[in-house]
Amino acid sequence: MSAPPAFRQQLLGAIPRLRRYARSLVYDAAAADDLVQSALERALNHWRQFDPQRDLVLWLLAIAHNAWLDGLRRDRHLDVVAPERVAEALDRERAHEPDIGLQIDLSEALARLVPDQRSALMLVIVEQLSYAEAAVVLQVPEGTVMSRVSRARAVLRAWLDGSAVPQGSHVAVKRDLRRVV
Amino acid sequence: MNATEDFTDTDLSAWLDGEGSAERRTQIEAHLRDHPAAAARVRLWAADRDALRARLDPVLGEPVPERFARTLARDARWSNNGWARAAMAAGLLVGGGLIGSALTWQVQSQRMVAAQAGTSQGWVQRAAYAHSVFTPEPRHPVEVRAQEEHLARWLTRRTELPVKLFDLRDEGFELMGGRLLPDATGKSAQLMYENPQTKERVTVYLRKPEADAPTTFRYVKQGELGLFYWVEPGIGCALVGNLPKERLLALAQIVYKQHEQPAAASAPAR
Repeated sequence: MSAPPAFRQQLLGAIPRLRRYARSLVYDAAAADDLVQSALERALNHWRQFDPQRDLVLWLLAIAHNAWLDGLRRDRHLDVVAPERVAEALDRERAHEPDIGLQIDLSEALARLVPDQRSALMLVIVEQLSYAEAAVVLQVPEGTVMSRVSRARAVLRAWLDGSAVPQGSHVAVKRDLRRVV
Repeated sequence: MNATEDFTDTDLSAWLDGEGSAERRTQIEAHLRDHPAAAARVRLWAADRDALRARLDPVLGEPVPERFARTLARDARWSNNGWARAAMAAGLLVGGGLIGSALTWQVQSQRMVAAQAGTSQGWVQRAAYAHSVFTPEPRHPVEVRAQEEHLARWLTRRTELPVKLFDLRDEGFELMGGRLLPDATGKSAQLMYENPQTKERVTVYLRKPEADAPTTFRYVKQGELGLFYWVEPGIGCALVGNLPKERLLALAQIVYKQHEQPAAASAPAR
């Protein structure tokens, strides 16, 4: 039996949230919607696994998250636009934005985050989940969410300030080197 | 100076995210008062947070691509039913009697929105999405709470609309607060109300109308949600809720009447 109409209706209502989360993980809008699409298909195929006592949006975010990680494993390019191509991608899609400079900086900075940092940061600040909720979505302890978010903030800030890369960060590219690429 | 504990950036970051007990939060706030450099760092994180939200929140206001509605309709028995399709095509699905009609309606309405992009229907859809997205939020249903006196002033300034805090207490609904949302014509505002007994929530969506002519009250049903909407010179308004039509109408009429009254007669910010 396929998913009941009420469940489909709830999925439909959750789509804007899913799309925002996907867009926060995957820069390219079309690729982000592909991620939403596979999350919806997974949700429809596994609707019986959903416990109605739980929050549907959290369940869907977790599904989208897993689909994203699967995609990363399959193909690194699904991740984020390579930092050096961000400006180009932005030109293509959002040329009308007045604060294009800021947007580029932010996108480049986001591209510096490793997937674990990026997902934790986005769930907490854009999706506005509590650490406990983000921990459920990411299937890690709350303390891990807390340290990932904090780490992500430090990496973003370091990049936006153009200052030295924080110690221990995966970030290897200094700001003045990126123009070489 | 208080003998405050030395907090790490991870502690401060968690504080910014609203985590931690009230006691701990108070300690951290004292620490931030005494340590301007730490406070400046937290402010930058808050600015980054706001920039990210500003960049990503508009996705919520985009119409849902039709492919998703199609995916959700796929395999459902009713959508494979030729009669249901024919009925949909003929616009006959008005009642909720047919299984899945709500979703069928939604699929159809997506097409309508696609076909009339930029027309007044689009914003009604956005009002419904904004309701669906934010009313289930347990932690952050609103951006600014009703207790904060500047809510009406803030929304008015940011939306350039005469935002009033409507008083729906006669119908049992208390104002929770409001938030800013992106709309095609600029910023829009959402006010959220809750019935403390039943926990039902309704939202009022306010936006600047396009040049189109004012409309009288209209009612649409979108899935489980009902919407009353109307456009007056300078403001478009939608009342959204999962309530019987008569109750929604009563609320919509209060909003309509209070909007007509001078500012002093609107509900005080509590």
